[in-house]
Amino acid sequence: MEQLIIVVAVLPLISALLVQLFAGRIGRRIARVSVAATALAFLFSSLLLWWALTGNGPHALPLGNGTAIILFDSLGALLAAIILGISLIVHLYSVRYMAEEAGYAQFFVLLDLMTAALLFMVIAGDLITLVIAWYLVGVLLYFLLGQDTRSQTAYRFAFWTLITYRIGDIPLIVAAALLYNAYDTWSLTTIFTEIMANPDAHQVMGFSLTEVVATLIGLAAFARSAQFLLHTWLPYTMDGPTPVSALMHAGIVNAGGFLINRFAPVFVHSGDVLNWIFIVGLITAIFGSLLMLTQNDIKKALGYSTMGQMGFMIMECGIGAFSLAIYHLFAHGVFKGTMFLSAGSVINDARQDDGIPKDELYTFAVEKRPNKVGQPWILMAAITLAVPLLILIFAHLLIAEDYFQKQGAIILLFFGWVTGAQLIFATYRMRTQNVWRLVGLSVLSLIVVVMGYAVISHAFDLFLYPDPAFRALLYSAASIDLLRFDVLVVIITLIIVSGWVVTYYTEQSGYRRRQKTKHLWLNFYALISREFYISDIYTRLARTLLAISGRLNVWLRWL
Amino acid sequence: MLETLIILLAGIFLPLFPMSMVFNAILDRITHRWLRLLLFSAWPLIGLFIVLDRNLVLPDWLLALSLSTSALYALRLLTLREVNQWSGFLATSMWSLLWLPMMQQTSPELMYGYAVSMSLPLVLLVLLSAGLEQRFGAAYMDLYGGLARTIPRFAGVLVTVVAAAIATPLFPTFFIMLEMVVKIISTTPLAAIVLLLIWLFWSWAGARLIQGLIVGRASTDKITDMEITITGLYSMVLLALVVGGIYLSGVIL
Repeated sequence: MEQLIIVVAVLPLISALLVQLFAGRIGRRIARVSVAATALAFLFSSLLLWWALTGNGPHALPLGNGTAIILFDSLGALLAAIILGISLIVHLYSVRYMAEEAGYAQFFVLLDLMTAALLFMVIAGDLITLVIAWYLVGVLLYFLLGQDTRSQTAYRFAFWTLITYRIGDIPLIVAAALLYNAYDTWSLTTIFTEIMANPDAHQVMGFSLTEVVATLIGLAAFARSAQFLLHTWLPYTMDGPTPVSALMHAGIVNAGGFLINRFAPVFVHSGDVLNWIFIVGLITAIFGSLLMLTQNDIKKALGYSTMGQMGFMIMECGIGAFSLAIYHLFAHGVFKGTMFLSAGSVINDARQDDGIPKDELYTFAVEKRPNKVGQPWILMAAITLAVPLLILIFAHLLIAEDYFQKQGAIILLFFGWVTGAQLIFATYRMRTQNVWRLVGLSVLSLIVVVMGYAVISHAFDLFLYPDPAFRALLYSAASIDLLRFDVLVVIITLIIVSGWVVTYYTEQSGYRRRQKTKHLWLNFYALISREFYISDIYTRLARTLLAISGRLNVWLRWL
Repeated sequence: MLETLIILLAGIFLPLFPMSMVFNAILDRITHRWLRLLLFSAWPLIGLFIVLDRNLVLPDWLLALSLSTSALYALRLLTLREVNQWSGFLATSMWSLLWLPMMQQTSPELMYGYAVSMSLPLVLLVLLSAGLEQRFGAAYMDLYGGLARTIPRFAGVLVTVVAAAIATPLFPTFFIMLEMVVKIISTTPLAAIVLLLIWLFWSWAGARLIQGLIVGRASTDKITDMEITITGLYSMVLLALVVGGIYLSGVIL
């Protein structure tokens, strides 16, 4: 049964070959071959997922002389099914969406090749296959984004993606080379077994090999998942076809979360690296969300939204909640894929009728005119703060009694609490006939979301990391000194609560600002609207490098 | 002394700066297509013939010089626009790296294999460059563009050949680069990083070459696309390169 995973990965390759060979003869009907192959692969991958869910695997399947290995395990089986599910939707959507575009058959060839590369990436059981697949995803994405060969802009930003991905390839290749030199094998299973048995067996320039490799893997994941300073390509690659945007935002950009999960046995021995990963994820989440809120271009806003979500995903890895990152990857993939694929219909509908009812929600959310409520503020504040916390605590106690012994869990609770409190804080000020009914509904929806999230993430935990000792190791690796942790939680709580208080008083005073702070806010807004000048700095650096190159050519007389 | 002289002589053919300029000067003066092909095919083999089987003790400074030469030409590659010159600079950057496996005592058979694997995509590129000159009068980036729409078969082959030349998986050059990194990283980590940066510059330059030629609106003039049989031939050679790359990976990794 496990051998079926090879068939699943090879099917898109066969499809790509068939489309390339027969497109000239049967024209646009060739897309059916591609869709059928993807559907068949999806069916097989679903069977394999079921096989893994029933407790089968992990199983390593050597190919050829044994250097290349395919790994059938729960992570690979789950992600293969997700990739093929999203790919199938994108294929079906593209059949009509791309019908009038030039290079129709070529698009399906690239789509099939991309699906195959992603599949090989998640089922790679050796470092060489992983590096090859990782590298090829970047190259294929470059050509998919540049599907419209007339557009210089599409290629310009596709190039940004390519070069960022190539920068991200470097740490992965270095990590692979270091691991091979240390363990004399390319097999991931063998390497991980040896690392688990003796994590400090090898050193690199005086540092622990596991820590160095974890750092390098983290860097590779940052580039692929658009973490802060390596994010500039993501919001700008909107000139590619919509199905490619959907595939990219729903699947490809999540690869960082996969890579960190794949190297989990390395990260359990690299607690400090996990802390850094958390910080980078947190910064990315904050900057991504901040930049998303200030965009007036909806596509760029979606791009920055993905950046923020990727920040959360990486942050989850940083607190040891590895399986939660996979759940996040899946949930975000489905959500963002839907948004991109339905964007065209929404724009089309909006041209005829904006469809916006000028009701309480519109006045509150779009026009930003909250209701000046008559309810006692202290009571509402108490509800705002207490209810989400109680729901979260109850939900998690129901699942695991030792939950509060894990710092990562407390951080997740903390974020959940902030989000829930923000929801109630926001909704009770809407213009409504019955504020208590609205708050009640908000609380109910929060209960459903939190319970669903808690139960599903726990299920992912049990499926991906069935060994409770390993799960505990992951959380403890990500933990920091208890006193520092408590101090940090208190400081952040104070910052968030004071933010709410400031927001409340600003709204109560009718948004009047003092002249001095108004100037400061305008400068801050200008900084955000230029996206912190990061793209400008990179462009300047690239131009400087090109100028040096040109000058050298002149000096050396082009020889 | 004699050993140093032999190395310096070989440095013309396995380019070491400033001797590397000789190859590019000759290439600049040769306009005949077949002579160019001969130059690209034979040049590194002459270098290997001079050095191999002489039991030379290669000095440590060769590592720094070969890497510097390769990095210099990779950086200069970024601003080239003429396809033949581009091929010449990429060849210089690649062939200068052949000193690295030689310093690691790689067998002569493999060394010749490496040289051929590096040169073959460049030979194809020179042929394509001749095809561009024949069709447009010059093989020059950003001059006409739009090849993907004007001559799609030619553009497809060109993109794949460039990918093979800049060490993209699964072509042999990818595995050669990977092997070099693996071998060198334990002894000289800094050299491995430089090697990876050179590889990054090749990708950058390759993307610029592709963009400068295939992107843009279709030409209004009637330009003949590559014949199907010729496309098939190129495809067969490229497929052979991929198969060779996979085979090589089993041998060297």
